[in-house]
Amino acid sequence: MDIFSEHVLSWIIAVPFVGIAILAFVRSELWVRRIALACTLLDFGLILILLTLWPGVDVDDQGMRFAERMEWMPTFNIQYAVGVDGISILLVLLTTLLSPLCVLCSWTSITSHVRAFMMLVLLVEGAILVVFTALDLFLFFMMWEVTMIPMYFMIILWGGPGRIAAGSKFVLYSLTGSLLLLVAILGLHVQGGHSFDISELAGQNYSSTAQFWMFLAFLLAFGIKLPMFPFHTWLPDAHAEAPTAGSVILAGVLLKMGGYGLLRICLPIFPEASAVFAPYILWLSVVAILYGGFMALAQDDLKKLVAYSSISHMGFVTLGIFVFNRQGIQGAILQMFNHGIVTGAMFLAVGQLYERTHSRLIGEYGGLHRQMPRFVALFCLFSVASFGLPGTCGFIGEVMVLLGVSEKSFVMVLLAMGGIVLAASYILWMLQRVALGQPATRMASALPDVTAREIATLAPLALAVFVVGVYPRPLMELMDICVTQLVEPTNQGVPIEMRSLF
Amino acid sequence: MSFIYILIPLLPLLASIIIALAGWWLGEESRKVGVWAVGISFAVSVAAFVQVIIQGEEIVLPLYELIHSGDLVVKLGLYIDQLAVLVLLLVTGVSFVVHVYSSTYMTGDARYSRFFAVMGLFTFGMVTLVMSSNLLMMFMCWEVMGICSYLLISHQADRKAACHAATKAFLVNAIADVGLLFGIVLTFATFETLDVRLILGRAEDISDQTINLLSWFGLEWHVCKVTLISLLLFMGCLGKSAQVPFHVWLPNAMEAPTPVSALIHAATMVNAGPYLLVRFADLLKLSPVAMTVIAIVGATTALFAAVVSLTQSDIKKILAWSTISQIGFMIMTCGLGAFVAAIFHMLAHGFLKGFLFLSTGNQLESAGSHAHHDSHARPAPSLYVGALILACAPPLLIFSGHYQALWTTHNLPAARITFWVIGLLTVFFTAIYLFRGIVTLFARVPSAAVQPRFFSLLHLAAIVVGAAGLAGVLMAIWMWFVPFLGPAIGAPTVGRFWPGTHVPMLVASIIAAGAGWMLALVLHARPMLSFVPRSNFARTMYVLFLNKLYFDELYSVYIVQPTLRFVRWLWQVLDVRGIDGLIHGLARNAILSGQWLWRVVDVRGIDRAVVDGGNQGVGLAGWPGKAVDVRRIEKSSDKIGRAADASGKKLNDVEPRTIQHHLVVLIAWSVGVILFFYWFVL
Repeated sequence: MDIFSEHVLSWIIAVPFVGIAILAFVRSELWVRRIALACTLLDFGLILILLTLWPGVDVDDQGMRFAERMEWMPTFNIQYAVGVDGISILLVLLTTLLSPLCVLCSWTSITSHVRAFMMLVLLVEGAILVVFTALDLFLFFMMWEVTMIPMYFMIILWGGPGRIAAGSKFVLYSLTGSLLLLVAILGLHVQGGHSFDISELAGQNYSSTAQFWMFLAFLLAFGIKLPMFPFHTWLPDAHAEAPTAGSVILAGVLLKMGGYGLLRICLPIFPEASAVFAPYILWLSVVAILYGGFMALAQDDLKKLVAYSSISHMGFVTLGIFVFNRQGIQGAILQMFNHGIVTGAMFLAVGQLYERTHSRLIGEYGGLHRQMPRFVALFCLFSVASFGLPGTCGFIGEVMVLLGVSEKSFVMVLLAMGGIVLAASYILWMLQRVALGQPATRMASALPDVTAREIATLAPLALAVFVVGVYPRPLMELMDICVTQLVEPTNQGVPIEMRSLF
Repeated sequence: MSFIYILIPLLPLLASIIIALAGWWLGEESRKVGVWAVGISFAVSVAAFVQVIIQGEEIVLPLYELIHSGDLVVKLGLYIDQLAVLVLLLVTGVSFVVHVYSSTYMTGDARYSRFFAVMGLFTFGMVTLVMSSNLLMMFMCWEVMGICSYLLISHQADRKAACHAATKAFLVNAIADVGLLFGIVLTFATFETLDVRLILGRAEDISDQTINLLSWFGLEWHVCKVTLISLLLFMGCLGKSAQVPFHVWLPNAMEAPTPVSALIHAATMVNAGPYLLVRFADLLKLSPVAMTVIAIVGATTALFAAVVSLTQSDIKKILAWSTISQIGFMIMTCGLGAFVAAIFHMLAHGFLKGFLFLSTGNQLESAGSHAHHDSHARPAPSLYVGALILACAPPLLIFSGHYQALWTTHNLPAARITFWVIGLLTVFFTAIYLFRGIVTLFARVPSAAVQPRFFSLLHLAAIVVGAAGLAGVLMAIWMWFVPFLGPAIGAPTVGRFWPGTHVPMLVASIIAAGAGWMLALVLHARPMLSFVPRSNFARTMYVLFLNKLYFDELYSVYIVQPTLRFVRWLWQVLDVRGIDGLIHGLARNAILSGQWLWRVVDVRGIDRAVVDGGNQGVGLAGWPGKAVDVRRIEKSSDKIGRAADASGKKLNDVEPRTIQHHLVVLIAWSVGVILFFYWFVL
């Protein structure tokens, strides 16, 4: 058991890659699906085992658990270093929770090149797992790039009618961000004593000019991924055109890489620059919350509506992170987790509709409650969770962010609450047009209800929505210590010198 | 033993979960689950009531910590005091009756089990709201009730009006709830806790703290924090309790099945607003400004809704507007400081209105329509008694003199008189519309063989006597009620509370109610004297109130439509043409400049140079070509090519798999190499 417990994280990371290797030898489409599902489920199971081991494992001096370090390219001080703390474990959990559902939702909807598709799903899962656990910036960057390629192919090969343009837009936006990320990482490497180790880089003093530029580069890279207003226009297209599994991965997990980067890199390494940029980012977040809400209200396309609502929700994440207090950051992390669950579920549900009708237009549905009562019940549940109904998971994150922000500015709190009202508006209006009333077209009047497989896809998320909504304490306890560490240095920052740069 | 009281909210919740999950299997049997759960919940509430009476102290039941983050600690807990236990009785009692009632009323409904699941969830929400010891917990229940209301209004989802009404109800409430949530945030910022008792305990200490509302604009406008918090909490009440200007959702909400209207939109949920105000009475009392605003809004709503109610012709609409009016009365009473009276009126109104709705539901069920003109049903005398009590209860309580002192605390004498007049007018109108509504519901049959017998003097006298007796009972309860509830919510208990010195006011209010009845009776007996008089002014007023002062239309034209137009415009301008336009422009320019560079630098510059150089090179290279035998080389290369081709074909036969397999071999090799290095070299 020793080899397992000491390297549990590497095992978790290895499973998807091993799965890819196995898939290469399998020809039967059914077995391809089964093996992909088994791999993702195995990973989820391993994470659950890891969580049971969690309390008994020692924390190393960087606050990490299950850390593993190996020389990879010693010439450049590059390591294979992975480890999890309270923040990353939640995102790892989210990734492994959503991946089996991605496989399940592609069970019948993907009919061509099933093997290639499943390989891409596994590849992106493995890469994201490394991103969330990497302690070495080079490893982080490499896998950050790797996530982009499978997503691109998923969009352009299995996507909707506008897939080519959407895929190109996604890649070009992402590449711009990656370029800045690479520059910033190399800059940090040079400035920070030729190291790629995140914890080593964090303890150093950088000159204010260096901080300014490197922070800006990181911020843009992460801001494009998140996405922050005004770098968001790739998101609605990519989400709308991607196949269901692609949308779920994109919205559920990939966006969180941006927020995770902010928490893991920007805040600990550049506390002063973070403090200087904070007011601007806070206001951009408020704009994103309102703007995403307005945009979602204007959409006639179900998937685009959910995509724009993501922008609004991710605004809460940046809002919470950059108030630098405990409630804000904990709220932001919870919001990331919850958004992954809820938006993932929304895309799954919309995907199930799309699979039946091949239409994403809200106006072509209506009256689904009659033919699809179970679907409508689940869909309503995720919808109300999406606008943060208390008792569902969306509420806890939002209210904690709001309480955190109230220390800084009541105006922002009020505006962000406007975003919640907007969310209720577009969600309920959409529900009214899709689920209630009379069918708008003949197509919508005779749809079969969800199958057992589809219920199995949605049920775990429905359960998570309630559990996190009424009992979020375990998640908060997981991240409590790291948030404390995160809050302390940023509050001590001396932002006076940086002001001169503006 | 007090942990048993957790059953009060838990049982309806469990019933709801069971019905939601197993409803497809239970079918119409799900009513049993719901009825039993709520029934036991009611019985436990009665036990709690008895215990509170006997012990005279509140019951505290801590549950668990919802949030623990730094100094933000939200501990959920149940708290049963005199106030809570009374409202609990109302909620579980009416809910039980409505559950029993709807188990037959809803028979044959396609979504029978869904109905009971949501009703159970609603009961859980309201009960927990009443018992919660934490402001955030209250807010959560507040919203849970909101979504239940949404789900029940849209119960008959085939009807477009029902869906529209549901969305409208939730959204109007969502806007008002911004106020409530902001109030909660501000409360936390001020008191650093969300525990209700701690907040009320510390309220005195912060009564002189102010906050500069215009600091953001660099101006100064200092407002008491207490006032601000009170008004923000009150904003939440405006939505839930359908007060002006957030009242527009309640009349539409009558699209719900009648038992829902009885439970949610008359007896319980809409009472959450006054309940919240009374719960925070200690806080509100510190702010004269907030109290005055509350009183004014309540008075306006009470009068406005009463007048609108006169013009309506649908019995459910009449009852809905009546509910708005009565709750306005409660809110006004709170604003005047008579919190105990507000709760008493809430209880009386809750039971009576629930009863009226259920009776109406019976009649409507047999008639099959809301529109009362074609109804042939026989009238139920009980309706009259209920209506009479409803009309008379407010004056009996509000003007009973006990609160005379409180009236003067915050208000000028002129304001006092205004409120009296508004109160009396409301009572007058209430009497008219209730009478009219009920009478017309049953009796307006032009060719009716059966003339309603209620207009015999004997019958009328019987009703009056019965009502007077009931009023006496009410007064007796009231005399027990004040010392029971008063101390719990900090109302003064000293002094007399029997209206010895204020008989004139009492009489005036009863006269107002009586006059309303008489007028309605006269109008009914002689339909020629209609409510639409002949003068232009009166006709204008009638049309105005018939259309509810055009609130819906104004909201639609000035808020909803512009917002939708604005977002479409914004999307087109900023996202599609703005940001995307910019990026596409960048891309186009990049391509153009690439083409230009290609043409100028590559084609004309480098290529030409290379070609020129190449030409010279070719000239030079021509020499060895001439020297070597070209044909021999060609022949041998041809041979090699053919051989490669053949071997390629052979490979193809041997290895029909795709490139992925080569990749896999490669990966396997690298994994092997890595493992080798890992175990043996390192």
